[in-house]
Amino acid sequence: MRQAEGVPVTLRTIIDDNIPSRLELVSGFIAAAVKKLEALGLDAAAAFDLKLCLHEAVFNAVKHGNKQDSSLVVHVVVKMGSEGLFLEITDQGQGFDFSVIPDPTTEENIGKYHGRGIYLIKSMMDTVTFSNEGRTIKMFKRL
Amino acid sequence: MDIKVETVNDIVLVAVAGELNMDNSNTLRETFKKLLKDLHYKILLDLERLSFMDSSGIATLIELFQDLGKVKGRMGLCCVNKRIVGVFEITKVHKIFNMFESREAALKSFSEK
Repeated sequence: MRQAEGVPVTLRTIIDDNIPSRLELVSGFIAAAVKKLEALGLDAAAAFDLKLCLHEAVFNAVKHGNKQDSSLVVHVVVKMGSEGLFLEITDQGQGFDFSVIPDPTTEENIGKYHGRGIYLIKSMMDTVTFSNEGRTIKMFKRL
Repeated sequence: MDIKVETVNDIVLVAVAGELNMDNSNTLRETFKKLLKDLHYKILLDLERLSFMDSSGIATLIELFQDLGKVKGRMGLCCVNKRIVGVFEITKVHKIFNMFESREAALKSFSEK
């Protein structure tokens, strides 16, 4: 996001919630989150992309990050800036090596069942970064 | 997700509506298992009313496509929402699925072979 040097960027918090690590709760959580995003007046294409990326990131955090341990939570933060939306999803698991993410579109991987979530996120978002040893994914979608 | 199954000659039409995601992809998997058990090997998925699919949905379609391939069956997709086509194109899985613009075109292709 561009900003004048020394001028703080004003971000409006749209979502700041914790979700217990239970897969059956994820779709309902995402549906409620998407309603809040749609209320911002997003076009259909952006709403679809954001919904898909939230799905992938939150499911990954619940399933692979927290390994469905319901005593652990996934923290989801969405903030609106003047140029787009910032999303941050953090789990409480062991983290993962985000430098090694196989390309699911290669001939050897195209027929595999899994491994497309992060690839989709990277394709649909303008910026994607990992931190906190892979427990946190930060995404930015320009609107 | 809502699934409707009908038969046209020897082709089974499976119309899927709503969302296909990690929560409900097993429902589609079970529908396919039953069709295979009943020896239906030509299956056309009509996705006109499917509005959303995540990577679990893609995984399920690949699994069903491969299961049908093992019995020398055929699976086609028709009337796919343009945003879902976009997801297929990003992940390049459109290269492995037989995709048709319309139900008629798919049925014609299935009938010819």
